[in-house]
Amino acid sequence: MRERMKLFSWLRYATPLDRKLLLAVAILVAVSFALPLRREDGAQVIATVQDRVVFKAPLNIDRTVDLQGPLGTTVLQIAAGKVRILSSPCRNKTCVHMGEVHQDGDVLACLPNKLVVHVESKTLAGKTGHDFVSR
Amino acid sequence: MILSVAENITLEQTRQRVFLALFVALAVVLNTLEFLLPNPVPWFRIGLANILGITALFCYGVRALWLVNLCRIILGSLLVGRLFGPGFLLSLGGGILSAAMMSCGFSLGRKRIGPIGVSVLGALGHVSGQLLVAWLVVVRHPGIWLLLPFFLLFAMISGIVNGLAAHFLLNSLAGHAAFRGLRERLDILTGQQPDLHQQQSGN
Amino acid sequence: MTLLGRRSAIVLLLVGVLLWFVWSRTVQPQPPLMRTALIMGTLVEIRVYDQAGGEAEADVNAAFAEMRRVEQLFSSAIPSSEVVRLSAATGPLEVDAETARVLKTGLRIAHSSAGAFDMTLGRVKALWGIETDHPRIPSESELSAALVGVGPDSLQVVGQLVSKARPNLVLELGGIAKGYAVDRAVELLQRKGIRSAAVNAGGDIRLLGDRQGEPWRIGIQHPRRADDVLLTLPLVNRAVVTSGDYERFFERDGVRYHHIFDPGTGRPARGCQSVTVIAADAMTADALATAAFVLGPVKGLALLQGEKDVEGLLVAADGRILKTAGLK
Repeated sequence: MRERMKLFSWLRYATPLDRKLLLAVAILVAVSFALPLRREDGAQVIATVQDRVVFKAPLNIDRTVDLQGPLGTTVLQIAAGKVRILSSPCRNKTCVHMGEVHQDGDVLACLPNKLVVHVESKTLAGKTGHDFVSR
Repeated sequence: MILSVAENITLEQTRQRVFLALFVALAVVLNTLEFLLPNPVPWFRIGLANILGITALFCYGVRALWLVNLCRIILGSLLVGRLFGPGFLLSLGGGILSAAMMSCGFSLGRKRIGPIGVSVLGALGHVSGQLLVAWLVVVRHPGIWLLLPFFLLFAMISGIVNGLAAHFLLNSLAGHAAFRGLRERLDILTGQQPDLHQQQSGN
Repeated sequence: MTLLGRRSAIVLLLVGVLLWFVWSRTVQPQPPLMRTALIMGTLVEIRVYDQAGGEAEADVNAAFAEMRRVEQLFSSAIPSSEVVRLSAATGPLEVDAETARVLKTGLRIAHSSAGAFDMTLGRVKALWGIETDHPRIPSESELSAALVGVGPDSLQVVGQLVSKARPNLVLELGGIAKGYAVDRAVELLQRKGIRSAAVNAGGDIRLLGDRQGEPWRIGIQHPRRADDVLLTLPLVNRAVVTSGDYERFFERDGVRYHHIFDPGTGRPARGCQSVTVIAADAMTADALATAAFVLGPVKGLALLQGEKDVEGLLVAADGRILKTAGLK
């Protein structure tokens, strides 16, 4: 209690309006941290098995794919702009329980099956400033 | 001392000019000092110079605030050699939005808002203005808004620090003859008994 | 006004002007219409720049429908397709005019590339199964059996009548059908009055006009660094197709087996890492890229140099980059 008194003792130099304002600003700061504006939505999904890219697809087209890892088939689903792992041959199913992700930098991983799925906000063309990349 | 009414007004004006010049000079010094200090996080600046802007605001009003802050930005940039560079644009954008927020807060909350409130508003305006300019001029990338929460938090803290500094500066200035009337204005704000501040009027 | 006071009114006005400035700066020029669809096992993206709204949307959907129609004609996986019908045929077969046209273009490039581009490798492709879940390395005898009778002379198209030299010849138009589908989509958009658009079928690109008065900026994929481009081409009204060994492949014992086969050996061609061809239409570019890839860097470059209105870039197996005269 004493500590708190010390920490906020400067408040006695603030007018009542100042205090209200400070409260409002503190709420604003808290809200800004909670806002989803922290990260961009992803644009594409990249899946790697043993560090090799096996699958690349945009987030805006719904599809389900089977990905082969050393343990067997992991089923990946892209639906309504989100990715999730539907089923996996691994024992503990951590990857399935990771749920849906869709933001830039999000990662789903099934370590037993050596599968890592990550979401990126930009395609190669976007990253390098091209309209398209011929490949 | 016996002075005519006309002389009295001239004296008051001269005094005001001298003090404003002093404020600008001090602000530029603080600005430069902060520029020279090691800065762990780029972009984050406490904005100590704004203490003088707030002081000018409470002593002489909105116009004085704009004068001190704009002069400080231009002179300060000139001094550290980045006038009209991107850094200058950032400062200017931050400075204008900051001054606008402070003037607004001061005018709307007349006689109720204190240096701390004004300072926090100014700091918020400052970071928002800087981010805005950075987004418009430097990096046209929406990712820059990811920084906003951190900037707001930092603005709140630095705003409080500067506001407190301004509060103490104002209270010590209020004891001087040159700032007649400031004491009363500050006491109305804080609603505190005059005896808490030992009056040392030279009158 | 009395509530605010004159000064704060001015300040509010200033803030308003500032907000207006920000708003006016953030309003972008009309964004392109962008639509994507999965066709021919790849991601097809269409962008239209000079028109937006409902009308262009309908045109783009029509273009996708056109590409799906082409897929129905030329896919080896669809039993009712012309390709499957031709593969099953034991005697001469009458095909529709469109199929005849594609086969003739394919045969022209097959002949000019001395058989490097080959539409009769269906059985070789099936042996490897590279696009399936269980690819494998076929034995020498399996391959030589599958290669019997293949080549440009084994197929003849007279009018709309197609005849195979051997009844068990299996056709595979993967090296040309995607390009043709892209061409059809672009031609449809053009007929609808669109002047600035692009169709990108998994990296096989055809551009209609320019992009808002500027050339399109097309990057060429770096064949060994997935997140890098080799170079940038400013292009207007062109088709760009790249064939690379990194697109579809599997690895066994550290060796990469990819999907572009050399008709001479029945094995993946080893001369190049990738070949990019820039031509007036995507069908020609598609077939030429495959042909040059199989021929290898030196002969491949000669092939592209010899074609009219065609430019190309080859990345040899050792990473060397060769370009046709127009790209230097």
